Amino acid sequence: MADLAAESGFAGFLADGGWKNIIMILISFLFMYLAIARGFEPLLLLPISFGMLLTNLPFAEMYHPEYWEYLENIPERTGELNSHYIDYGRILQHGGLLDILYMGVKLQIYPPLIFLGIGAMTDFGPLIANPKSFLLGAAAQGGIFFTFIGAALLNMSAAECGSIAIIGGADGPTAIYVSSKLLSKTDSIGVGTIALAAYTYMALVPIIQPPIMRLLTTRKERSVVMGQLRSVSKIEKLIFPILVTVIISLMVPSAAPLVGMLMFGNLLKESGCCDRIAKTAQNELMNIITIFLGVSVGATTRADKILTLSFGKVILLGVIAFSIGTACGVLLGKLMYVISKGKINPLIGSAGVSAVPMAARVSQKVGQEEVPTNYLLMHAMGPNVAGVIGSAVAAGVLLSIVQV
Amino acid sequence: MNELLNTAPELMLKGTDKGLSGGTITSVVVTGIVVVFIGLILLILFVSIYGKIFDSINKSKAAKAKAEAEAKLREAAKGEVKPMASVVKSEKAPEIEDGIEEEVVAVIAAAIAAMGASSGKKLALRSIKTAKSSRSAWAAAGIADNTRPF
Repeated sequence: MADLAAESGFAGFLADGGWKNIIMILISFLFMYLAIARGFEPLLLLPISFGMLLTNLPFAEMYHPEYWEYLENIPERTGELNSHYIDYGRILQHGGLLDILYMGVKLQIYPPLIFLGIGAMTDFGPLIANPKSFLLGAAAQGGIFFTFIGAALLNMSAAECGSIAIIGGADGPTAIYVSSKLLSKTDSIGVGTIALAAYTYMALVPIIQPPIMRLLTTRKERSVVMGQLRSVSKIEKLIFPILVTVIISLMVPSAAPLVGMLMFGNLLKESGCCDRIAKTAQNELMNIITIFLGVSVGATTRADKILTLSFGKVILLGVIAFSIGTACGVLLGKLMYVISKGKINPLIGSAGVSAVPMAARVSQKVGQEEVPTNYLLMHAMGPNVAGVIGSAVAAGVLLSIVQV
Repeated sequence: MNELLNTAPELMLKGTDKGLSGGTITSVVVTGIVVVFIGLILLILFVSIYGKIFDSINKSKAAKAKAEAEAKLREAAKGEVKPMASVVKSEKAPEIEDGIEEEVVAVIAAAIAAMGASSGKKLALRSIKTAKSSRSAWAAAGIADNTRPF
C-alpha cells in the first residue's frame, strides 16, 4: 500500500519542486476557463491547456523534456561536432504520446501545414483590389524588430530575442516555427512559453488594440468612410499565390516553407478544380494539426521549464511587441491618410498585425464607434492578410540572421 | 537580398550570442524592416501592374462588346427591322399564373438575375406557379410540431 502511494502522482506533488506542477495545473485550469467560458481562441487554448495539464501530472510520462535537450554528437559521416543533435531514435523507442506528437513541432511540420489550411480559407481579393494594403501589413511587423531591441537590452541570447520578437507578428504558427528552430537547451525559455504568450495575446487583440488605435488617431480620421473596392477577376486571384510564392521565396528563402504552403492552400481554393483537397485543407487537416500542435505545445510547459523569471520577461516583451506592431500600423495608416488626402482610414492599419480575422474585426468595430454605417471590414482584411505574408517574411529574415 | 543577408558578417548571429552590441541590434532591426518593406513593395508593384493589365483587358472587352451591340443596332435600324423583336423572340416572356402579384414576380426575377450575375451564367425565368400544398393539415401540424425548436 505504501509503495503504491509512493508511486502515485500525489507523491510527485510532494517531491522536490512538486508545488510548481500544482501551480501549472492551476494555470491550465485558468486557460480552460478562458477558452470554454470566455471563448478566448478556444480551438487553440483548450488543446494547449489540456496538454499543459497532462504534462504536469507527475509520473504520467507523456512528455520527456530531457529527450529534447540538444546533445553533442560527432556523426561518423562528417566527423564534425554537431551541438544541436536530437536523438530521434530514442524518442521513437521510448517517447510518450506527446513526445511523438511534438516531433511535428520540433521538425517544423505543423506550422506550414496550418498555413496551408489558412491559405485555403483566405480570400486575398481585398488585398489584390488595393495592393497598397501591403504597406500596412509591412509596417505592423515593426513590432517584431523593435521588440528585438528590448529583448537584446535585457541581455537575452540572440535566439531568445528572435523568438520573443516574433510574438509581435501576432501569428501563432509563425512564432512556433521560428522559436522551435532557434531555441536550444541553453535558452531559458521554450517553445511552449512563446506559443502560450503568442496565443494569449492573439486572444486579447480586442482588448489590447482599441485603446492604442484611439490614442493615435483623431475623431476626424476615424470617421473616414472608404469607397467600395473594385471587383477582382478570377485570373488575378489565380496568379496572386504563384506570384507571391516566387517573389518571396526568391527574396527570403527561409520564409519559403510558410509562404509557400500558405499560397499553395490559396491556389487550391482559387483554382476551383481541387475542391475536395481545398476542403480537406480547410477543415479536417487543419483540425487534426491544431489538435496535435496545441496539445504537444501545451506539453512543453513543464513547471520546471516555465516558472522562471524569463517567463515574466516574455509576457512583458510580448505585450510590448504587440502594442508597437499595432501602433506602427496605425501610424503608417495616418501617413497614408495624409498622402491620399483623407481617403484612407488609419484604423485599417492596426489590422496589419496578422491575427486573422480578429484584427480586421477590431478595425471595423472601432470605426463603427464613430460612424455606425462605416464598413471597414473588407478594407481591413487587405492589411490583415498582408500581415500574414509580412510576418512570414519577417520570420524568414530572423531565421537568416540568427543561425542555430 | 538574401545574399546581402548572408554575406554581411555582422549580421550572422549565433543563437547563443548574448549581450549583443548596439551596432548589431541596429543592423538587425534596420535590415529586418527594410527587407520586409522591399519584399512587400515588390509585391505591390507586381500586383498593381497585373491588376492594371487585367483591368484594361476587361475594359477593352467591354468596349468591344458595346461597339458590337451598337453596330448590330445600327444595322437593324438600317434594315428597318424592329430591334426589339429579336430580343422578344429570343427571350420568351415567362408564364405567370394568375393571382401572383407583380411584386412577387419582380422579386423572383431579381433573385434569379443576381444568381446569374454572381455565377456568370445566363439564367432565364420561364414560368411562375404557386406550389400545390400536398400536405394534409395533420401532416403540416406534425412538421410544425417537430421543427418548432429550430
